[in-house]
Amino acid sequence: MALIDKHPELARYISEREWFQFLREQTLALIEIPEMQLQVKTLDSLLKMYGRILDAVENDKPFIASYYCLAPELYTAMDIPYYMVMQTPFLASSVPYLLDDIDAAEAMGLGSDLCTAIRLSIYYVEANLSPLPTCALNLLYPCDGAPLLHEVIKRNERWRKIPMFGCDPPYYMDERSLHYFASELRKMVKFIEKHTGRKLDLDKLKETLERSNQMFSLWDEYNQLRRNVPSPHGWGIGAPQCFSQAWVYEAGTPQGVDWFKKLVEIAEINVKAGIGPAPEEKIRLFWFDLLPFGWVFEVLPWLEQEWGAVMVMDMFGNYPYTMIDTSNEEQMWLDIAKRNLFDSPMVRQARGVADNFANDIKRIVKDYKIDVVIWPGHMGHKDGSATVGIMRETCRDLNVPFIHLGLDLFDKRYTTPDQIKDKLSQFFRAMGLG
Amino acid sequence: MAVFDAYIRKVAEYVAAMQGGGRQCRVFDCPGAPDRLLYGLPVKVGPGAGSGIVLRGDTFAELGSPEAGSCAFPLWTNNIALIKDCRITLIGPDILESRGASLPFAQIIIAAGKELSDKQHSALDESQYIADQIEGYMVKSTPGRMWTRISNTTAERGFGFEALGKALTAIYKLHIPQIEAMEIVFVTSGKEDVRKLDEIAEQVKKISKDIIRETWLARGYDILECTLGWDCGSCPDKSVCDDIKAVITVRKKKLSKRQASTKK
Repeated sequence: MALIDKHPELARYISEREWFQFLREQTLALIEIPEMQLQVKTLDSLLKMYGRILDAVENDKPFIASYYCLAPELYTAMDIPYYMVMQTPFLASSVPYLLDDIDAAEAMGLGSDLCTAIRLSIYYVEANLSPLPTCALNLLYPCDGAPLLHEVIKRNERWRKIPMFGCDPPYYMDERSLHYFASELRKMVKFIEKHTGRKLDLDKLKETLERSNQMFSLWDEYNQLRRNVPSPHGWGIGAPQCFSQAWVYEAGTPQGVDWFKKLVEIAEINVKAGIGPAPEEKIRLFWFDLLPFGWVFEVLPWLEQEWGAVMVMDMFGNYPYTMIDTSNEEQMWLDIAKRNLFDSPMVRQARGVADNFANDIKRIVKDYKIDVVIWPGHMGHKDGSATVGIMRETCRDLNVPFIHLGLDLFDKRYTTPDQIKDKLSQFFRAMGLG
Repeated sequence: MAVFDAYIRKVAEYVAAMQGGGRQCRVFDCPGAPDRLLYGLPVKVGPGAGSGIVLRGDTFAELGSPEAGSCAFPLWTNNIALIKDCRITLIGPDILESRGASLPFAQIIIAAGKELSDKQHSALDESQYIADQIEGYMVKSTPGRMWTRISNTTAERGFGFEALGKALTAIYKLHIPQIEAMEIVFVTSGKEDVRKLDEIAEQVKKISKDIIRETWLARGYDILECTLGWDCGSCPDKSVCDDIKAVITVRKKKLSKRQASTKK
């Protein structure tokens, strides 16, 4: 009996793997370009994850559904495969059925004012298109949509029997919050151990965290290189790949360390040669959110080609990642808590106080010589959109142009790519840029 | 404003303790005016003076890495007599004595001016992160620490802490005209010595947060309590917000009374 017959919920997952195998073959054709070598390695890591999940289902091994900001190094140390519930929307730039899925989610009755990433994740669960894990770790932050997703998953007829846990997030960024969240993470480990039968070995965890530290340290090094004029890379390689390696596919693995070493080497070569992604870098952008994964190929290359506008930094590339101190167990847990609650991208801005938005803008604009701050204004990021006033005032103080677009990062029909191009073009002209 | 004066005195006590404890301590007294500070410096200083980055392979020395430890904060006062203008104090080895080293690093900027106020607080805080303003000296864009690199070329030209101090003083004085006097303390003597400043840094950070919050409140935004980001004057939830704050105030008072009577 084929795997799909026994596990119909894997149909989409298997076809996605096939799609990425196809993409990998296409990318191999460009293998002489160093950046494409990294893209192939990224796809290898992605395919490895798909393979592990399918293997776990087929051979009745434990695996979990979780999220990036729930200390994925723990799962690496426990040798438990994990997949991210919101994975498909985040990989949306590649999959051809995304718009159909969005329409199906609406047909199911999910409101179109609900964040598309949340809407799609609910749809995949309700339509039986997500692998059924041994246990699920649900995210209750940074936004209201996250606990909503958790509530849906808990009540779904297939998922309601699956053990679930959600780390309770505090609001503030102080010592008390840190200790609290560290204790939540330890409870989470106990939960995983109970339901998977795998034990957390502290020595293995330390090794994993030390590799993770190396990865984040190299990522930090790479970020500094993007301050160069011209930036060694633009939208095509950078935060999304770094994020996927460090937080999703290769959290604390030797392959992850190698990937980052290669990335830094390539970027250093470009910096020394004065090479950037555009023939002439005229505008340096700070894109203050996720990339528009649903239609990234339709706008960001155009920005570089048409305007010489290079995305030098974005929300997912910028971080104050804590290096985890593995010499002391208590401190280790506090540092893991800090990295996941205070430092991780999007979570740190959306979960906490509005001041986080202002501080990020101030530092990035100065250090990266930013010419324009773009707040994409994703329809689901209402919490962030509410701080537009603060962001605009901050940019005014810095004398740097600020634009609020209003779009859906996943659904290009909400504000079309042509409308975005038109808005940006008018803005650049009005500001005398490019 | 005198809110930081006590901490300026604590820093002075710290320096005295370090000197008394046998740490290598050097004092550089420099000319006051920015143009005289910049005269004869071995590197360019000002916007666009450098690229802002130093590659790993070009690094002479690194300061304040996560492993070595770092601490940095600005202090300011209206009492000019509290500090000695353009004094640079170095506790520990100099840059030029530290080829290949990764040193712990503390940097304390102390500014004084009769006209200094909360309005300049953000500028004083942000000016620590010099971006591309000192040729061959990089402050890594990594929030939460002062992590820097000096390039080989810059060190070969004789760039040490005296030059760094002069450059920073000039940058501050040119950018914030209300500064009439400025002192800088650098510490590289050891991780534990840098850590001793953490307590002062923590308190300064709290005060800084309050000042920033008040500055935004004056503009109509409550950046810490409210994520709505609207002007409070036009926010439809203002009356609810005010009631909640009143309740919180009453509860906090009751809690402190209870804690005070428990202590007795």
